[in-house]
Amino acid sequence: MRVVVCPVREFPDGDRRIVQAGARSIGVFRVGDRFYAIRNRCPHQGGPLCLGRLAPWATADGPGDVHLDETPSLVACPWHGWEYELETGQSFMGPGETRVKAYEVTVERVPGPYVAETYPVHVEEDVVVVEV
Amino acid sequence: VIDCDVHCQPDSLDTLLDHMDPYWRSYVEDATIALGDPGSYPPHLRGDVPTSAAQLTALLDRDGTDLAIVSCLALDGVHRHPDYASAVARGLNDWMRAELLDREPRLRASAVVSTTDIEAAAAEVERIGEDPRFVQVLLPVRSDVPYGNRLYNPIYAAAERRGLRIALHAWGRPGNAPTTTGIAATYLEDYVSNAHVAQNQLLSLVAEGVFTRFPQLGVAVLECGFAWLPPLLWRFDKDWKGVWREVPWIKRRPSEQVREHVRLTTAPGHLPPSPKEVAEVVEMVGPDLLLWSSDHPHEHGPAGAPLLSSVDAQAAAAIGSANAAAFYQVAA
Repeated sequence: MRVVVCPVREFPDGDRRIVQAGARSIGVFRVGDRFYAIRNRCPHQGGPLCLGRLAPWATADGPGDVHLDETPSLVACPWHGWEYELETGQSFMGPGETRVKAYEVTVERVPGPYVAETYPVHVEEDVVVVEV
Repeated sequence: VIDCDVHCQPDSLDTLLDHMDPYWRSYVEDATIALGDPGSYPPHLRGDVPTSAAQLTALLDRDGTDLAIVSCLALDGVHRHPDYASAVARGLNDWMRAELLDREPRLRASAVVSTTDIEAAAAEVERIGEDPRFVQVLLPVRSDVPYGNRLYNPIYAAAERRGLRIALHAWGRPGNAPTTTGIAATYLEDYVSNAHVAQNQLLSLVAEGVFTRFPQLGVAVLECGFAWLPPLLWRFDKDWKGVWREVPWIKRRPSEQVREHVRLTTAPGHLPPSPKEVAEVVEMVGPDLLLWSSDHPHEHGPAGAPLLSSVDAQAAAAIGSANAAAFYQVAA
């Protein structure tokens, strides 16, 4: 099933559209020139995931020493704040555990228990289309 | 058995002054200062705090204790003159060394420092911490500001360097709020609230990144209970998942940091009546987190023995001595 979202020129950077594909509600996000589509249902308790805020990864070398990625890559469910990667739907609840010793600053993003459904989304003749 | 919380204090300020710079004798006499009474206990469980090695030796013999860590709360009653408080702290440490540790080899001690002068406190940790019989730095669980605050970093850095643990013991200086909501009207509220203040200190230590900055640091919570730990950690983890980006230096669940860095003494314990329920509480808390303590001379009731007899032999051995031996790097 192909769901036509809207023309690209009507979809500004940082914006989102919620589209319906049969029984499924799907959120389509634009971050820069990239588009993401992810199911609008949090795998945790069914919250409207795609109504939540977008956020970039935050890392810290030590207390107070925080770095933010430039572009958002996570969407946070409005119910409990749990965050999912837009690209993969993988849940991340807090920064990952270090795979080596606790005091190494290298951060491995250890996934959470949930994966939200994601869908291919692309631009066809200046129209954003989701493949469901 | 390693007893991780036995109280001691000099029998008088005069005894303590023998271990202090002569200036402070005139200061004390001019200001008519007495040694603060740390006995903030109900009459039925007050007891006499040991003041000599001979009394402690008799206690260890009576209880069959292999090793005991003494804690002196006398500094809690000392007022806020930073130089006097630091001098009393040094005097108490030298008194413990000369009068207790040198006379009873089964004793280890908690180094006393005053947070009225953080640099002096750190210097005292460096000085007295050279003696391996001092195994931890004693701080009152009630603080001027929460212990996660980075103003305490020099103390933590010195403790980590010297291989000392940090101990947060029930009570604190008069004037510091005894409850998490401020100054209470009754002694009863003060007494019950040590447990709640301890919980806030654990939140502060983790959230402000003390264990991230000082990965070798360990914190022992003395005489504040432990049965409250599981729901605290559940909530701590749960809310961290949603608001982690406020504290991205916490790279593992807060509960994991607490379980790695924090230990709690067993008296008082806040335990249910039946052995089956006691075993369930210990399992939920984690037997590896508990340090056996008598809290002598304070008699909290006969709950200590059921604690050990309610759990399996391995857990009883861990609580009775193995946890303390590993945490403090001491051999019973």
